[in-house]
Amino acid sequence: MRKQFAKTMQELGKDERLTVLIGDISHFLLKDFEATHPKRFYNMGVAEQAMMSMAAGLAMDGLIPVVHSITPFVTERCFEQIKDDLCYQNLGVKIVSVGSAFDYASLGCTHHCYEDIAILRSLPNMQVVYPAAPHEFDALFRETFTNGSPTYFRLPAKTHNIQTHPRFGEAEKIKSGKDVTVVAIGPQLQNAFDAAEELSRHGVGCDLIYLTTIKPVSAVSQKMIRESLEKTEALVTIEEHSIIGGVADVVAAIGRGIRYDEARLGVRDMFLTNYGTYDEHCAVNGLTKEGIIKAVHEIKPKNNL
Amino acid sequence: MNQKDTKNIRIDILDMVYKAKEGHIASSFSIVELLYAIYSGMAEGDSFFLSKGHASAALFAALAHFRKISREEMLTYCEYDSRLGGHPKRIPDIVMSSTGSLGHGFPMAAGYALAKKIKNESGRVFCIVGDGETNEGSIWETAMYAEQLRLSNLVCIVDNNNSQIRAKTSINIEKKFSAFGWQTATVDGHDIKQINDALFAPRAHSLAVPYCVIANTVKGRGVKQMESDMFSWHHKAPTAEELSAFKKEILS
Repeated sequence: MRKQFAKTMQELGKDERLTVLIGDISHFLLKDFEATHPKRFYNMGVAEQAMMSMAAGLAMDGLIPVVHSITPFVTERCFEQIKDDLCYQNLGVKIVSVGSAFDYASLGCTHHCYEDIAILRSLPNMQVVYPAAPHEFDALFRETFTNGSPTYFRLPAKTHNIQTHPRFGEAEKIKSGKDVTVVAIGPQLQNAFDAAEELSRHGVGCDLIYLTTIKPVSAVSQKMIRESLEKTEALVTIEEHSIIGGVADVVAAIGRGIRYDEARLGVRDMFLTNYGTYDEHCAVNGLTKEGIIKAVHEIKPKNNL
Repeated sequence: MNQKDTKNIRIDILDMVYKAKEGHIASSFSIVELLYAIYSGMAEGDSFFLSKGHASAALFAALAHFRKISREEMLTYCEYDSRLGGHPKRIPDIVMSSTGSLGHGFPMAAGYALAKKIKNESGRVFCIVGDGETNEGSIWETAMYAEQLRLSNLVCIVDNNNSQIRAKTSINIEKKFSAFGWQTATVDGHDIKQINDALFAPRAHSLAVPYCVIANTVKGRGVKQMESDMFSWHHKAPTAEELSAFKKEILS
């Protein structure tokens, strides 16, 4: 994903407004951009509050700043700068983070971030985009970078291998099925897809819906999600994020008034104080193919199928 | 002439705050001469950011004086559908940035100054920061960035009104900016000639580094009761009796 980020910046760098500010990460990957556009590349070190406000100042003069750093530092540490300077003034600053959720599993909770989507989607004017394959970042960044609104791009370390067709603001139906609505975001699309394949071999049909834009979700996509919930009356959400404020809540708001059973897979209301690997954290939080199949069986026992 | 103008600006601030029953008069009074000098001296391409947003009443009174907004609009201060409130809201071409939470306007001004460098635009970026505001870490992050990015088109004016003496004081501000690699100067912040000279004399235009002017000011300047009891007057509207007494004192 980071490589694609560098490639997309390099290709779009011919737009003289694009200006990249990094928080002392990814310099090697962005060296071509730096070499081609030295006046529009700044390694700002680790002063995220002023970096974010300065990006707002750049946008006021018509530039398109891209601020890039590690998730907790470029979202939570400078949250008020994002609120006041980007969102309140509705300036087109693009934030691109890496290291969300427990991508840096072994570095501990200060370097985890499973609240970024929750806090950022609470801000008016903010757009929240979560691509999980290189072509998704490229397409969604190109579609939004000139739209003049603050946008957050969450880039996961892991990617999925599913052929998707991302469009800003639109949910995508990956598979159709009559029994359970499965909504996945991020690289968990892979597990959700594999789980749906296996369930289908056992006669359980999953309506698999994938969101690359968490905010906003278009009226058409909301209708698609509502129709799915009305049909299946069962929902499993899957996210590498807290089950508070993430896609589970997005879908709950969209499905208000519809009666359905629900299971939320994600990080519960707790810190993941263990170290280890990304895969170990996925396993503990039920973010595996098996975890998804188990959740589907729990909310949709066999006799109800 | 100048003195008559700054008296009128103070009267306008009192009227605005009295009518709205809301505002920071004393913090506004400390920057009246600074705003007057800046708006008198700014050239084509220059811009101004008010980082200490709670002095918005002074900004709007100055904007009305210099005919950037109408007097009628000025008097809508703090009304529900007014563009002008207790902290400023961005109005492109008139009010550069929304501020209020301290330590935001200064880095935005620095970002704007950097954009001018990137785009090869002329003009300088002026920014008033409060002395208390320099408690915020983002001020020093910005001071560091401005040095490294050689933002010689950025001018920080510190309204050094000592209003923070109840808190841990912001002391030696000039030495601190100087240690961060800035060119510095100190002026009497109520002496328009001194301010004008520090900001607009030819030597101020040809610096290689960012520039910080420490303006020593008096919080509540112009009304004895506010000067001596600045804490009570930090965030308070006057009564009708106080309004007329203060106006009389200012005009005397």
